Amino acid sequence: MGVSYIPVARAGELTPGGMKEVDLGGRPVLLAFVEGKYFAFSRQCPHEEADLKSAGQLLGGGKIRCNNHSYCYDLASGECTLPRGAAPLTVLPAEERGEEICIRLEW
Amino acid sequence: MAYDLIVRGGRIVDGSGLPSYVADVGVKDGKIAEVGRLKESAARTLDANGLAVAPGFIDHHTHLDAQMLWDPYGTCEPQHGVTTVVMGNCGLALAPIKNGDEDAIVKSFVRVEAIPRHALEQGVKWNWHSYGEYLDNFEGKVGINVGGLVGHIAVRHNVMGEDAVERKAAGAEVQKMRGLVLEAMEGGALGMSTNRNERHMREDGKPVASRLADDEELFALCDVLGERNAGAIETILGRNKIEHFEFYHELARRTQRPVLWQSLQHRWVEPNLWREQLAAVEPIFKAGYQAYGLSHTVPLVRHFTLKDCQVFDEFPVWKNLMFLPVEVRRQALADPATRAKLRADLADPRPTNFHRRWDILKVEKTARPENQKYNDKSIEELGKLRHQDPLDAFLDLSLEEDLNTIFWNANNGGDWKAMGEILRSPYVLVGTSDAGAHVQFGADFGYGTILLGLWVRERQVMSLEQAVHKLTFHIASIFGLQDRGLLRPGYAADMAIFDPNTVGAHEPEWANDYPAGSKRLVQRADGMHYTVVNGQVIHQDGRMTGDLPGQVLRGPLYRRQRAAA
Repeated sequence: MGVSYIPVARAGELTPGGMKEVDLGGRPVLLAFVEGKYFAFSRQCPHEEADLKSAGQLLGGGKIRCNNHSYCYDLASGECTLPRGAAPLTVLPAEERGEEICIRLEW
Repeated sequence: MAYDLIVRGGRIVDGSGLPSYVADVGVKDGKIAEVGRLKESAARTLDANGLAVAPGFIDHHTHLDAQMLWDPYGTCEPQHGVTTVVMGNCGLALAPIKNGDEDAIVKSFVRVEAIPRHALEQGVKWNWHSYGEYLDNFEGKVGINVGGLVGHIAVRHNVMGEDAVERKAAGAEVQKMRGLVLEAMEGGALGMSTNRNERHMREDGKPVASRLADDEELFALCDVLGERNAGAIETILGRNKIEHFEFYHELARRTQRPVLWQSLQHRWVEPNLWREQLAAVEPIFKAGYQAYGLSHTVPLVRHFTLKDCQVFDEFPVWKNLMFLPVEVRRQALADPATRAKLRADLADPRPTNFHRRWDILKVEKTARPENQKYNDKSIEELGKLRHQDPLDAFLDLSLEEDLNTIFWNANNGGDWKAMGEILRSPYVLVGTSDAGAHVQFGADFGYGTILLGLWVRERQVMSLEQAVHKLTFHIASIFGLQDRGLLRPGYAADMAIFDPNTVGAHEPEWANDYPAGSKRLVQRADGMHYTVVNGQVIHQDGRMTGDLPGQVLRGPLYRRQRAAA
């Protein structure tokens, strides 16, 4: 059992509304800075596997819309909010630790 | 020459479902002239010794409305033995259209069917208004036969403009829509399609127009078909639950037309829903009406290793492990305390898409020669062979192979027995290829070759004759396709000639053949040697011949009018 904080960006590196691609254990992840909060999530839309780097549009309230089919996801919980009940987006906890933005992985 | 073409010595699987037999097929003027032992000569002879000769397959669920305008073969349909496609499904069609509504239709196609906008903008010229004029575009220009359903979305926009995505229709507007549906049917539509799926939105996030229709409007439009005894009604209503079947019953009862609903699949997370759906639909047929469920033949399969694995993302501990650096992940997977957490994570009873069944997940390909004995074994079987708990066997094998063991999972369509019952049901229409849609996310042109290869040859869930019937005459009958779907004298000479021992489909692969340089996924076939359309070979062993013998297959109202004239 353990906890790992994996640094993925420097504080201030992302401008508001910005996204950064990172690789975590070989899987593509996006880090977004929205309304003062950091969110990390899988780059792949769970609906039809669109690349959220190009198809994703960050919305207010910590949400992202995949412009491929307008599916919307809550970036904190991963829940699909439109349409409700569809497969969730894989999300990971991101937090500021000093000068770094880290993904917290606990197992 | 007595014949234009003779197909010699093949096993005739004639589409009726009756037992196959060996015979020759003689073709004259695009039609089957004779089936039997033929001594006469022909301009061309195909040796079908050892091959099956079937009616050309009919792909009834496509979104090739746009693609057929620039790709006369609707590739990769002919490579899989398809000789006829039905367009205009799920409420989406490119007609009837009035000037100014084009972008509203494009917005719907782009989002619902995931067709690249620039491909539609470059490939669709909009030189029509009515549905009949749209079909006219294909006359003499296609390699396979095309027919289509008039789409509720286009009809609604035509009458209501952008209000179509904002509000209910007024009575006068519904009457105008009824007129457009009738005009489309008289122009050759094979029926009508509608869409109430709450997940289907336009590019701008607004619901597709047909979602705003109430029952009164929907029934009024479908009544046009009922009043004239013509056409099929194809629906995607997002209503798969048992409580929704009263609606299908009512629609089928009042129109007495074939109603198609989506969809019926085996899913491990709802493993009995398909059985309940079939039980719910049976009374509709028993009462004398038709409400067919659409089902797919392609299992939703994921191949994965524990180096790159999304299968367990719904389980927090598993998910976090799969994002750790591989060396840390390897250590964690070997740790007994972590294993206890992984076990507890899977035992959490909340609903998930992953089925959590070790008898379904299996070893597809081991990395080490000494482990080959585990290939194709379920994880449950693996545990027994290794005298271990399944989870430990799963993780230990993977660790022994440096996380390179390839595993196999199917959330949908993975239960052979269930799939057999679904595919055999007389109330089920096989095929939801969605050809022409979702072109960068999948390619299921091969639903027919997969039926013949995977479900008939490998899993033996039905006979070859039953399967061919499902792909041909069953469909032709429901859509009112005259003279199609059987290998009988007088029928159109549409044929799929294949090797039952090798027929199958490849995994999809990328191609750059869409307008404006768009890429898309295509799918090759195995064992499909010839595809014949109206007596001409259009496809031979993976290559298209360049001939364009396809016809526009217009529906019964058009044919009646022509006959009367």
